[in-house]
Amino acid sequence: MSEQLDKAFDALKTYDWGMEPNLVKPIEDAIVATHTDAAARKELETRLIAALKAESPRAAKDVVCRALKTIGTVAAVPALEPLLGDEKLSHMARYALERIPGPEAAKALTDALSKGTPKVKIGVIGSLGARGEASSLVPLTGLLGDSDAGVAAAAATALGDLGSIEAAKALVMSKPVPATKAAVGAASLLCAQRLVKAGNKPAAKITYEKLLASTPSKVVKEAATLGLKSL
Amino acid sequence: MQSITEKKATRRDFLKATGLTTAALGFPTIIPSSALGNAETPAPSNRIVMGGIGLGNMGSGDMGNFLNNPLVQYVAVCDVRGNVRDERKKQVDGKHGNTDCKAYVDFRELLAREDIDAVHIATPDHWHAIQMIEACRAGKDVFCQKPETRTLREGALVVEAARRYGRVVSGGSQRVLEDYRGIVQKCWGGELGPIKAINVEMGTISKPCNLPEEKCPDNMDWEMWLGPAPWAPYNHSRCDGNFSCEGGSWRSYSDYSGGNMTDWGAHHIGGATFAVDVRELQPTDVILTVEGDKRWLSFKYPNGVELTLNKPGKGQHQVDGTPGEKRAAKKVPEYAAKGGIGADFLECIKTRGKPFRDIELAVNTVTVCHLGIIAYTLGRSLKWDAAKQLFVGDEEANRFIDRARREPWQL
Repeated sequence: MSEQLDKAFDALKTYDWGMEPNLVKPIEDAIVATHTDAAARKELETRLIAALKAESPRAAKDVVCRALKTIGTVAAVPALEPLLGDEKLSHMARYALERIPGPEAAKALTDALSKGTPKVKIGVIGSLGARGEASSLVPLTGLLGDSDAGVAAAAATALGDLGSIEAAKALVMSKPVPATKAAVGAASLLCAQRLVKAGNKPAAKITYEKLLASTPSKVVKEAATLGLKSL
Repeated sequence: MQSITEKKATRRDFLKATGLTTAALGFPTIIPSSALGNAETPAPSNRIVMGGIGLGNMGSGDMGNFLNNPLVQYVAVCDVRGNVRDERKKQVDGKHGNTDCKAYVDFRELLAREDIDAVHIATPDHWHAIQMIEACRAGKDVFCQKPETRTLREGALVVEAARRYGRVVSGGSQRVLEDYRGIVQKCWGGELGPIKAINVEMGTISKPCNLPEEKCPDNMDWEMWLGPAPWAPYNHSRCDGNFSCEGGSWRSYSDYSGGNMTDWGAHHIGGATFAVDVRELQPTDVILTVEGDKRWLSFKYPNGVELTLNKPGKGQHQVDGTPGEKRAAKKVPEYAAKGGIGADFLECIKTRGKPFRDIELAVNTVTVCHLGIIAYTLGRSLKWDAAKQLFVGDEEANRFIDRARREPWQL
């Protein structure tokens, strides 16, 4: 295994589109084989981090990020974080970071909200939402008024994913521009539904009522009415 | 937007109510029945207005079924491939004898149309959840080809969206009811007594794809084909919609599909869970057994029923019952209307009932497929908490519940 793994890491240096996936498959195999061997895991992660930092084709970094999605720890965060602002690599950096538990990965994603293009920010916002990252409530709320409608809409959707009372409040208290009103309405509905699921019907009721008072679209109005009836 | 359930005031009612008969308007009194409707063919204003998203192999079949259904007014097609888009528009226009069908590259433009009541989706699997949720947000009812999701998290979210918006959302496996009637009847009829287990024979799971770059055809929007999946260069085999799961098609590659496990699993496992009456449940345990070079899985359900996958010595849908012991017969559920799974969906749009392949049942099936893929990938047994939608005591397995989507796509 060790010799095959060495060869796989060697192949990573020049691994590009069109090359045989079996060249790097020993990395996948090592992930499974080291499941109960903490030292071997640590070594594997260290090698992946080094490979990520090294000059290599995009396809190679893609392979490394996929592996770090499964075994990456706080140790991998500093190597992934700089990639978040790179339009070509940001998604695969998130591919790993979105699934790495802990406040360090959350902080790296949250810090990236103040950098990069709107396109990259939208991705980062989506990852925070997918993580259900409660610590991102304040920055996401701030982005509801972003001048880029895509960023503002993505922030609304991510707040919906958080599904908390605070997120619901931020959404119904916001004053969306026409371009983001649909996203805010949809996110508020999601929040209300999650509040019901969490047993907080009073908060859900207020959310539905605030939505209905905001001259929503017909679809949002129907859904809010349906939600109210279900309480 | 006027929903189908509100389309009570027909063109005929309008003429009656206003007294504006054709004679009074000075028009000839001969009006084709297709314009006003009859017992079999409702007037256009009373039909379910539909569009299709992803119209290749499976999508073209679904389109044909809906286009030729007299309850449907088919008005829009969407595909990222120009040749497919043009061909389907031609088909729809040919059927209607006009050029009114609108063609779209971006499904969001189709969903933004307020006149459309329902859509059918048959894009590659990595698109299904986003498009289903967006369709619900746009107030559309949805028929989505199987497998309905690509990740575990997507399953819970599409069910939530369907319920949140009160939409009729049907999964797309026609085989669940139509192909396995023999074993379903035996189980539901009580002939086999209380059921202990059922086995499913299944092929491989999907693999990573690293095909070389080729020139993308001018009439294809490659960015939209990839959508939420990781960026990769165009290659015709990466995106080919043929039915192989062993290479040379998107069904073979893990960024877009679970391979045979989801592609056929949606049918075979859907049929098995229907037969042994656990389709409303999700398993609690996934047990991986390795015997030499053979690997097989056992899924344990909370009611004690076991579903095995590729268990040595067992055949396709072989049931372990307890003949001789009593099990009360139950009536086998059927479609809400004659004409297959599509007709069932259309009938439920009218009645607002749950379709035979309600999205929650479809998701329960695909969840089994995803759990199996994760167990095979990690090479170990897993415990699944269906209420929390989390693996129990396995942080690493929980990383497989979902995957980051390429910007700008969110669920």
